[in-house]
Order: sequence, then C-alpha cells, then structure tokens
Amino acid sequence: MSADSVPAEPAEDHSRVRPAAGARILVVDDNRVNRLVLVRLLTSLGHEALEAENGRVALQTLRGSRPDAPVDLVLLDLLMPELDGYATLEAMKSDGELASVPVIVISDVDDLDSVVRCIEMGAADYLPRPYEPSILGARIGASLDNARLLATIARQRTELARFLSPQVAALVSTPEGEQLLAGHRRAITAVFCDLRGFTAFSETAEPEELLGVLREYQAAMGGLVVEHGGTLEHFAGDGMLVFFNDPVPQEDHEERAVRMAVAMRTRFDELAAAWRRRGSELGFGVGIAVGYATLGRIGFEGRYDYAAIGTVVIMASRLSSEARAGQILANQRAFAAVEHLVVGERHADLSLKGFSRPVTAWDIVALRSAPAVPSP
Amino acid sequence: MTGPTAVDAATVAALADAVGGDAGFLDELADAYLADAPAHLAAIADAVRAGSAAALVLPAHTLKSSSASLGALALSKICRELELEARDGSLDGAPERAAAAEVEFRRVEAAIEGLKRARWVAGMPTG
Repeated sequence: MSADSVPAEPAEDHSRVRPAAGARILVVDDNRVNRLVLVRLLTSLGHEALEAENGRVALQTLRGSRPDAPVDLVLLDLLMPELDGYATLEAMKSDGELASVPVIVISDVDDLDSVVRCIEMGAADYLPRPYEPSILGARIGASLDNARLLATIARQRTELARFLSPQVAALVSTPEGEQLLAGHRRAITAVFCDLRGFTAFSETAEPEELLGVLREYQAAMGGLVVEHGGTLEHFAGDGMLVFFNDPVPQEDHEERAVRMAVAMRTRFDELAAAWRRRGSELGFGVGIAVGYATLGRIGFEGRYDYAAIGTVVIMASRLSSEARAGQILANQRAFAAVEHLVVGERHADLSLKGFSRPVTAWDIVALRSAPAVPSP
Repeated sequence: MTGPTAVDAATVAALADAVGGDAGFLDELADAYLADAPAHLAAIADAVRAGSAAALVLPAHTLKSSSASLGALALSKICRELELEARDGSLDGAPERAAAAEVEFRRVEAAIEGLKRARWVAGMPTG
C-alpha cells in the first residue's frame, strides 16, 4: 500500500489472507519424535510445515521469513532448552510484526495453570498431549480462520480510515460506536462545498482528465478535512459534505469548520491555477451552517453510511449553491461563533428552497490573522 | 521375546492410522526415537549422579513425551514419575527409577525392532 494513493483507488492487500489448507505452520519442539509426527500430520492436512528445535530458532525463523511467505501459525511446545515456550510466546506477542500470528500451545504440561498462563499470554489455543490428530487439525483450522478474520478486520479498518473519515472508521469496532451509529441528535457545523463550472467541464473533458482533476481535488481537500478533524460524510463527484462536532465532540467546531473552508479555498486556488493553464475553468464555493442534526447509520445491509440528517445539512448545501466562485457563505449561527476570528461581510438575505423565511448569510472574506484573500 | 506391554499396540495402531499406514514413516520415527533415547537416558543418569533435580526435568520430560508417542507407555510412566519428583526438587526415588527406565528401554527397543521387522503389521489398521 503506498501512502500517497488517492482515495479513488482502493489498494488490494490480501497477502495475509491465505486459504485454510496450504497454510505455512512452524512446529517448535525440542523433541525430534514429536516434531516428526506433527510435520507428518500437518503435511497430510495439506499444510506446509517448518521446524524449529527451540524458541530461539523459532524467533529467528519467524523474523527471517519473507513478507510474501509469512508463517501463518505456530505450534509451540512449552518445555524446551535455550528458550522455552513461555518466553517464545512473550517475545512474539511483544513484537508488532509477530503479535498477530496465532500460536497453539501443545505440551505435556497438562495442568490448568499452564493453560491459563498461555491463554493469558495470548495463545490462540492449547492442546495437551496426547492429542487426537483430528482435533489438532480442527483447532488449526479454527485458529487460522480467526487469524484471517482479524487480518481482514485490520485491513478493512486501514482502508476505512483511508476512505471514510478516521473518526468514523475508528468507531466501527467500539461499543460506544454501536450506540452512536444507532442514531443521536447533536449540534454540528456542516460544511458543504462543490465546484463551479464542473458540469460544463465534465461535458467537454476527456474521462481521464475529469478523473485526474477530481482525484487531485479530492486528495487535496480530503487532506484538509483530516487535518482539521472534520468528519467527511461523503464525496459525490465534485460535492463534499463535511461535519464537525461528531462523532468526536469538538468545543471549537465552528472555528475548525471555518478554518478548514478558508484553507480549502487557498488550496483550491493553487490547484485551479494549474487547471486553468490546461484550459479548465473551475471555481470553488462553500456553505457553512450550524444547527441540530440527527446523526447515525443510514442505508441498508451491505451498504451503510454514517450520515447527518437535518435542516443544517440542507442549509449548508443551499448556501454552497448560492456562493459564487471563491465565496464562503455562513449562516447566522455559524458566523456569530467565529465573528471575532474572521473578516465577514453581511450578504443579502437569501430565499432558499425549503426555508420559508429569508436566511441571513455572511460572506467569510478572510481569517483576521491572515491577509485578506480577494474574491475573484 | 519381549513382554506384551513394552509397546502398546493400540497406540501404534492409532499412529499408523494417522499417517495412512506409512511403514516407511514409522521406521523413520522409530529410528529417531531409538537414536535419541540413549542420550536422554544418559542425561537422566548424569543428573542422578550429580544429585541435580533441575537437570533431570528436561530429559525425563522429553523421553516421557516421545515414549508416549510411540506407545512405550510403561517407559513413559517411569519418566513421568522421574519428571514430577524432580520438579518437586526431590531425587529420592530417582536412582531406582532411572535404573528401571534403562531396563524398560531395552524391552522397548526390542519391541520396536520386532515391529519394524514385521513392517508394523501389529499396528496396521485391520480389515
């Protein structure tokens, strides 16, 4: 996975996801007779067996294995010379690279204490000798399945963190997350932005050029969203909805939103200059609104989104539609919260679709600390 | 001939079954066992002579384990007693048990040689 991949290109990484048969299993036992039996059983189950005569050799083998040919599982004896099973297990679990490799402890030490100790130390399973070969096979299968599941979850979390906002990705696998996903009401700052001239551009541009511009735009804006702690609800073509103060509460959510919008405008101007030289005339408009929304999981099995629903979202979207190229329009509540930080101009009241009364809007010209950015 | 209990027929049968009746593999396993066991017995004897319970644990444990794998249950039992006593830091029964282990190993060795000559048929699944 390259760090500079843009969100539009999912990177595939299935290197740790291997079929149940054909796993690479390391047998760690000082007893040659036991190793021979285990290797033979594993081979007959369709696995590839590696051998180590003690823990020290096992760690060498594990650390020396090629990334494209990792050890999938370790069968570990406890009583061994040089480095025993407990020390080996401990070393593996404290090694970031090896901690996820499942370990099944096989030992004659069939007392309860050693079982408990091994499981507490992170062993996936424990099999006392003498074992039934069929039970060994079943437990290996179960441990490999578990490890695959964990690897899949880890990979999905990594990908989610790249495609969704990191906050939402992190939520997915926590107990609090389940509650938040179920739906809750909260004041948020919603930021909607999209491109001016994009429809015309998309009608004339070559698909490659269109996608290239979109990727550049989304990568640049996505970076600013993360930088300001925003939750990216969605990218839809050139449109983007970001909200603040959820799922992670942020005292300064209005300020973060405005700072992000200004940073986006600056960044967009740089991008637009390059596109203009290639003949694409695009502008950037933003709407910012503060208000209550219902947030949570919407959609259906297999395709859920974490979404914000409420007039605040519609307000941000309508303000964005009203904004000219280079303009950031904020509703009264958003502007009131950041008034001391920005140079703002009262915009003519807007009649927005879906709102019965005219809406007070403010044009955020610049941040107070920074020199004013002239609107084009 | 050896006594009937030196190598347990049921254990050998289960082992043979698990490896698909591969007599060649059983030969290999038996050879590894017969080659390594004397060193473990020697280590046990050394530990007893030196009066070191700590040094007795690992060889007794190892021989217990591999003997059980091949069905040498009586020898495995003697080794287990040696191991457990040594874990408690005692060598009281060790000289007698170490001697018994030597004697029992000769019987196991003879039984295994017999199984090898018979191509492990005693251990093969029947019918």
